[in-house]
Amino acid sequence: MDIKPEYDVLIIGGGYAGMEASLTIADAGFEVLLVEKEPSIGGHLIQISKVFPTTDCAGCITTPKMAAVPKHPKIKLLTYTEVKNVEKIGKKFRVKLVKKPRYVIEEECIGCGRCEEVCPVLVPKEFEYGLIGRKAAYIPFEMASPKKALIDLDNCIMCGRCERACPKDAINFLDEPKEIDVTVGAIVVATGYNLFSPELKKEYGYTGNLTRIHDNENPNIIHAFQFERLLAPSCPYHTVCLRPGDGKIPERIAFVLCTGSRDKSLGNPICSRVCCMYSIKQALLYTSAIPYGEATIYYMDIRAFGKGFEEFYNMVKELGVRFVKGKVAKIETNENGNPVVVAENFETGEIEREEYDMVILSVGLLPNGSKEIAKILGVETDPYGWIAQPDVNGNPAKTSVEGIFVAGTATGPMDLPDSIALADAAVSQCIAYLKEVKD
Amino acid sequence: MAEEKKNSVKELTVKKLRERGVKPRPEVVEMSKEQRKIIKQIKDCLKEGAKTIPEIASATGLRPGVVTWYVMTLVKYGELSPGEEVDGYYKYSLAKKEG
Repeated sequence: MDIKPEYDVLIIGGGYAGMEASLTIADAGFEVLLVEKEPSIGGHLIQISKVFPTTDCAGCITTPKMAAVPKHPKIKLLTYTEVKNVEKIGKKFRVKLVKKPRYVIEEECIGCGRCEEVCPVLVPKEFEYGLIGRKAAYIPFEMASPKKALIDLDNCIMCGRCERACPKDAINFLDEPKEIDVTVGAIVVATGYNLFSPELKKEYGYTGNLTRIHDNENPNIIHAFQFERLLAPSCPYHTVCLRPGDGKIPERIAFVLCTGSRDKSLGNPICSRVCCMYSIKQALLYTSAIPYGEATIYYMDIRAFGKGFEEFYNMVKELGVRFVKGKVAKIETNENGNPVVVAENFETGEIEREEYDMVILSVGLLPNGSKEIAKILGVETDPYGWIAQPDVNGNPAKTSVEGIFVAGTATGPMDLPDSIALADAAVSQCIAYLKEVKD
Repeated sequence: MAEEKKNSVKELTVKKLRERGVKPRPEVVEMSKEQRKIIKQIKDCLKEGAKTIPEIASATGLRPGVVTWYVMTLVKYGELSPGEEVDGYYKYSLAKKEG
């Protein structure tokens, strides 16, 4: 690995905000080390079908950056790598990283997929939230960057077929974790968000977890990020929008907003800020894909606060999507495998029971390991575990430690434009800091 | 083919790993056997002709959700092909092997 001993900036997280920050800082002439814990960069955005309210293709926004990052002469990208320790020495940071073993020699792998073809073991595919399987030897997804295979040794039966099939002799089962020590001048935290696990809301009947749907007893109750995949042009099935319970084209679907957000009983009292709008967008995409389909959205309030959001909401309402102001008490599954929503309609005061082909739980957002990374970095978090912004109005990207900045949803739930704006704020504050320290 | 032959004379690193005492997890070996059994059941049932997922579930006794997971995975890996849609369900058949 051609790792230099020193970089100007370490970016932690290769989602959209991390890629944006890396490219902009590198374009300004600084040496950037981008570290991503997953085997590919791209974050959540590459899994999304379209963004709201413009319905622009999310892949078309993300893939140019995913392609540009590894090619940039001022960026060193380390995927499948985690930050283990950070020590501030004077104005600089000494960082210990651990690159996890891929069991594939990255420099040799040509991403041909032969190892995946011959591997006999199926594992729920993370990129598809478990809707289909991948192999134990696999490329994370079609547009992965870098497009390199890895072996999931935990789920490998060690048959050696992948190693025999590899045309480049790139498989190495003797690979081990590698420790890397670097010194950096500044750090940008862009660790993003995680999803609320809907099985914690027991009354909603989601019996799988975020990745294992094939052993889910109520497979027609799914979460919104699974539905996002079902709606995407690169969907896991051969066509968009079939239900996981039996492959049927769903004719009646319902969305349940605020699943795992604004809910003190589940420890997440804050609004996730994106669930209303992504559900409205998904309802539009669903009715576009299945013109005879009926979509209902159960909501407490519609929070259409951003530019163009209210107009988008009104347009979708006029197109025939039904909005029910109410609280869903529970979701049952009947003998046909169809979910039945039991809800109090706030406008009529009645308890209503309605049967659907599929129910989508619009899950909230949670911090993505920011408590752990905050501990390593020594920065403060807010009461909910997001990276704290001590001067949110004056210097929004500053953290409690000088020289460490924060970008995107590491600070809390937000939509894409806000995430990019905060990434760019982190870039400008980080560059200003580097120049100040240098002078 | 030539590449596979080239590799077969080389000592495999997986063999060396096994020699170091690293073994696959027993539950993974069991899971893999179960998967092969389910895939065989699905493929055998499709030898009679194209079927929808509920029809495969009914013929094999597997849960429709489990059948969906395997069928969609096998379609992705090119082992099954989707066909016509009848009353909201697609039919699936064994993929024709190229060459």
